[in-house]
Amino acid sequence: MRVASDIGGTFTDLAYLDEETGRVGMTKVSTTPADFSEAVVGTLRKAGVDVPRTSFFVHGSTVIINALTERKGAKTALITTQGFRDVLEIGRANRPDIYNMSYTKPKPFVPRYLRREVHERVNYKGEELAPLNEADVRQAVEKILAEGAQAIAVCFLHSYANPSHEIECGEIVSQLAPDIPLTLSHQITQEWREYERTSTAVLNSYVHPTARAYLDHLERDLTKMGMDRRVLHVMQSNGGSATFESGKRSPINLVESGPVAGVIGAAHVGDLIGEPNVISLDIGGTTAKTSLVEKGTPKITTEYKIEQRRDTAGYPILAPTVDIVEIGAGGGSIAWIDRAGALRVGPVSAGAAPGPACYGWGGDQPTVTDANVLAGRINPAYFLGGEIPLDVQRAEAAMRPIAEAFHLSIEEAAMGVIRIADANMINALKLVSVRRGYDPRDFVLIAFGGGGAMHAGALMRELRVKKVLIPVEPAVFSAWGMLMTDLRRDYIRTLITRTDQVNPARLNAIYAEVEAQALQDLTAEGVREADMDFQRFADMRYMGQEHTVKVRLPAGAIDDRAMPDINERFHALHEQTYTFRLETPVELVNYHLTAVGRVKKPEFRKLDIRQGKLAEARKGARRVNFDELGFAEATIYERERLPLGVAVKGPAVVEEPASTTVVFPDQKLNRDEFGFLHIEMLG
Amino acid sequence: MAFDPFTLTILQESLRAAADEMFVRLGKASKSPIIYEVLDYACALISPASELICEAQGVPGFTGVLPSAVRSILEKYGAQAMKSGDVYATNDPYSGGGTHLSDVCLIGPIFWDGELVAFAANKAHWTEVGGMAAGSWTTDATEIYQEGLQLPAVKLYDGGEPVGSLIDLIAANVRLPDSTLSDLYAGVAALRAGETRVRELCQRYGVMEFRQSIGEMLDHGERLARLRLGALARGVYQAEGWMDDDGLSDDPIPIRVKVTIDGETFTADFTGSSPQVRGPINGTWARLQSAGRVVFKAITAPEVPNNEGCFRPVKVLCPMGTIFTAERPAPVSTYWEAGAAAVDLLWRALYPIARDRLTVGHFLSICGTSLSGVDDEGRLFVLVEPQAGGWGAGADKDGENGLVAQGDGETYNIPVEVCETRYPVLVEQYALDIVPYGAGRYRGGRGLVRDYRILCRQASLTTTFGRHRFPPWGAAGGQQGSPNGAAIIPAGSSEPVVWSGKLTRYPLRRGDLARLVTGTGGGYKHPFERPVEMIQADVKDGYLTLQQAERSYGVTLHPETLEALQLHRAPGA
Repeated sequence: MRVASDIGGTFTDLAYLDEETGRVGMTKVSTTPADFSEAVVGTLRKAGVDVPRTSFFVHGSTVIINALTERKGAKTALITTQGFRDVLEIGRANRPDIYNMSYTKPKPFVPRYLRREVHERVNYKGEELAPLNEADVRQAVEKILAEGAQAIAVCFLHSYANPSHEIECGEIVSQLAPDIPLTLSHQITQEWREYERTSTAVLNSYVHPTARAYLDHLERDLTKMGMDRRVLHVMQSNGGSATFESGKRSPINLVESGPVAGVIGAAHVGDLIGEPNVISLDIGGTTAKTSLVEKGTPKITTEYKIEQRRDTAGYPILAPTVDIVEIGAGGGSIAWIDRAGALRVGPVSAGAAPGPACYGWGGDQPTVTDANVLAGRINPAYFLGGEIPLDVQRAEAAMRPIAEAFHLSIEEAAMGVIRIADANMINALKLVSVRRGYDPRDFVLIAFGGGGAMHAGALMRELRVKKVLIPVEPAVFSAWGMLMTDLRRDYIRTLITRTDQVNPARLNAIYAEVEAQALQDLTAEGVREADMDFQRFADMRYMGQEHTVKVRLPAGAIDDRAMPDINERFHALHEQTYTFRLETPVELVNYHLTAVGRVKKPEFRKLDIRQGKLAEARKGARRVNFDELGFAEATIYERERLPLGVAVKGPAVVEEPASTTVVFPDQKLNRDEFGFLHIEMLG
Repeated sequence: MAFDPFTLTILQESLRAAADEMFVRLGKASKSPIIYEVLDYACALISPASELICEAQGVPGFTGVLPSAVRSILEKYGAQAMKSGDVYATNDPYSGGGTHLSDVCLIGPIFWDGELVAFAANKAHWTEVGGMAAGSWTTDATEIYQEGLQLPAVKLYDGGEPVGSLIDLIAANVRLPDSTLSDLYAGVAALRAGETRVRELCQRYGVMEFRQSIGEMLDHGERLARLRLGALARGVYQAEGWMDDDGLSDDPIPIRVKVTIDGETFTADFTGSSPQVRGPINGTWARLQSAGRVVFKAITAPEVPNNEGCFRPVKVLCPMGTIFTAERPAPVSTYWEAGAAAVDLLWRALYPIARDRLTVGHFLSICGTSLSGVDDEGRLFVLVEPQAGGWGAGADKDGENGLVAQGDGETYNIPVEVCETRYPVLVEQYALDIVPYGAGRYRGGRGLVRDYRILCRQASLTTTFGRHRFPPWGAAGGQQGSPNGAAIIPAGSSEPVVWSGKLTRYPLRRGDLARLVTGTGGGYKHPFERPVEMIQADVKDGYLTLQQAERSYGVTLHPETLEALQLHRAPGA
């Protein structure tokens, strides 16, 4: 039994796969913020999972990101190199809101009085210039404890090149304060840039007590139900999982724990249907998130920041993170008119409360969901399987001011709202695809979340992806995605060398060292060597550039003959990304190893979907607005009853309790043997 | 498809996304730290009538300057002579959106169905354009001819093909041809991205709708700007001040502005400011225009995307030949000092009517720093960076500590670890400077100290730190801030031998220490009004010393417990 649990703001989802029968099940209960594990236990009970038989449990949660954004972490102190305690406060000194002459910088997570300096110094080559002054460290720890700090981070200059002073300092801290959570920056990241590394170490310590208490609690509850402690895993921002133990040590790797699961799921759906190139699109209540998967591999960024927006700098975290673009366009996004009279949608959302006007829970602002109801796309009597009857009149009332402002009918106004929400999503989809040198025609768009299926058909017509795919139970697809996860660790080392001067022996030594480390780490997590898969990457650039591109390197020993091939891979990737290549020397900056511990892949059985007549799935017909194709009488089908191998021709709407799929008049839809819906353009 | 009111919003978002894409592409592909760290560049789409459609920029200085560059190309060549794939280049400071020679404009016409529909353009600070000093800016040039290669609206690509002889000419006249040409290619790549997106939009919506929507967009921008302008208090607002000196003499330079807001227009008149000076701190007409637009935007609608319409109510007046509007052959390579001074003048003039959007005086100068030399392995190095410093207090907040100046924006400092890896220096501290200035009910933000210990046989330091003699202003009883400056502490000594705003190729030897200091911002309201608990917290954090608490804030604290021992705040002080 393989079990995945995903805690979201509103619902806690569970997906499980019985490896013996091949049966996949899903369930959800309301999230229990006072004690999150109550809902996890609740889903297991509700689904009737045979808990002691669980062979792999993986968990995603927003607890860590919430502790950060709500500032509910521990009182944290920092020990750093003499002369540099203000690095955390100065940051990169940037002012992204360039016309704002009253800009306020993000406030450091450690106040100045808790940032203590100690004498020590290492240079960029890792050579010691001054030894660590132990008396300084002792004094710093005493002060920090006297101030009541609950966690400590240590970050010294150039510790990525030589961590010995951090290690030494850590030993002293542990002696003096054995119970206090401690992060040494090099344990989390061995990349250069002191502000980013310090920020990462500090944030790790900041969420450390929260993460430990939370995972301990969950572990206790699950083992009480008979689950084996060794099968417990958490989802990491890099798209892989790690053991609870590892998650407690480095909770900063769990920040994007929830959203990445959908991307991993999309990659596996692609794999299942033989389409290795996919774009994932997750449309929820407040935002839409999209990410690109090339040849089965999600894109990873190492320039991740929390709370970064167009007008504020945010906080960097040097943890490899699946590269997701998120925009404020979801079902609850509110439509409004700006002061000079143009229509806008989002980023403000009506959220779960009061929700869209049509819910009748007190919301009176027009949202994207209200627009979809007015366009006939959502069936007001079948929302969440009829659990929430939607009030069309309230949707109309909310939309009326917009219609009046533009002298349009309510239907036209609703269509305008949908069109602007779609345009915002298109821009996000282009950002991850065409703007990075990818042609959408080579990709399948996998749409999920509550609103993915509703908008995907329209987006496809504009973006020209080759196909849209709606997975089974799209509203809980993230939990499904987690079922597919492997264990994963990333190792990054900074060492700058020109490719025409590099000594291959040195290169081999670096990869050998991190691969030995990876072997040790994964073994400790219970992975057999045969199930390990190591991939080497290098961040490379033209000499003189600052930004790099990530180049996949061949496995095995690298010799002089391999270098031209590596160079060529770089030139080609640079040209794909930036449209040109140069004759100038090429530099290697970071050495990146991804170590994957493959866990036994669930085998998806094909469903027992019978061939049959489309008429049996037909529920009726209604008038639906298909934008520039006009209004049309769309046939309405129930997803569960759709037969195999018979195409549904648009205009049509396929309904299921938690989602609605819209098929345009120039599109057709097929249900495949896994239960997935495929939408393609006609002709 | 039919034109409708929503297409306006969609096109605007798509065009903005296109400008962002051009911007990202140029930055990531560039080899110039001034481009990829300082983000001293802008990308724009411009209509065939030389109107700004949209732009993306990392610093405010280029706001709205690209359309006049397009106009100069159109006047010289005429639209008829242009074809798809052409690229024009200009860096003339005295015309066509010109600033200094390092800022090169690239312009590419965009055609759809044989018809000129728009221009893609960018302006970026290239690493090197030749001239008397490495990096192409210095403090002692007296003529433009010392400042680098001039590109007077030349055609660089002909129908998609680079003009080889021109490329060779550029390469031969710059010190780092590889970097300079990379900046050129990065700029052309950005133009191509803009072209692709515009053509897609023409295809999707049709040329007619594209044009009609752009007209609507500009009108929409104008309506918003006028709405905000109407909310500003009508009146005449004046300010006058000084710039330190021109680098060649010690004479302060008088500057002044008169702003008139009458509900219809926002007029900034700089008449009466000093004539142009001998040294290279002269500003240009285009930079002065952008100063007016930047401040107008800051006090009206900072969040609205820029287009021509937003700036229709703004008029910037100044006779030619002044410190702000230099004429040939005046040197202009550190033109940003005059630009910053113009912004600060407007800022001070308008401060009384916009306290909610403007903080008091900040360290202002870019604090341009250029350290060059030959390292122990015989390689030439040039470290060029702006410095971050202290900002002024706001109406309800302390000033920001260590933030880049107004003339910078999404500009990054160079990490210590990167700096020490690339250049033969040891950074001995990077810290807030706790000086006894900037006190107030709300404090000025702290400036910074950055120490470079020289690790090679010899190096040379050029700095242009304005506000060395005229520190940041305070308001309503708040104190003024502290000056910017560079100090030299020779090897083996701990005493500075030099303390100056401008250093010109100052020779340094192994073991010498260059200390770069930026100002603390001005304070707002009298320091005695600052609550004692805030002062106690400041002292605990080390933002204030015990002595400063006593002298500036009138509070004597116990050195250990920080308990308030004595309050000597004279009533009405």
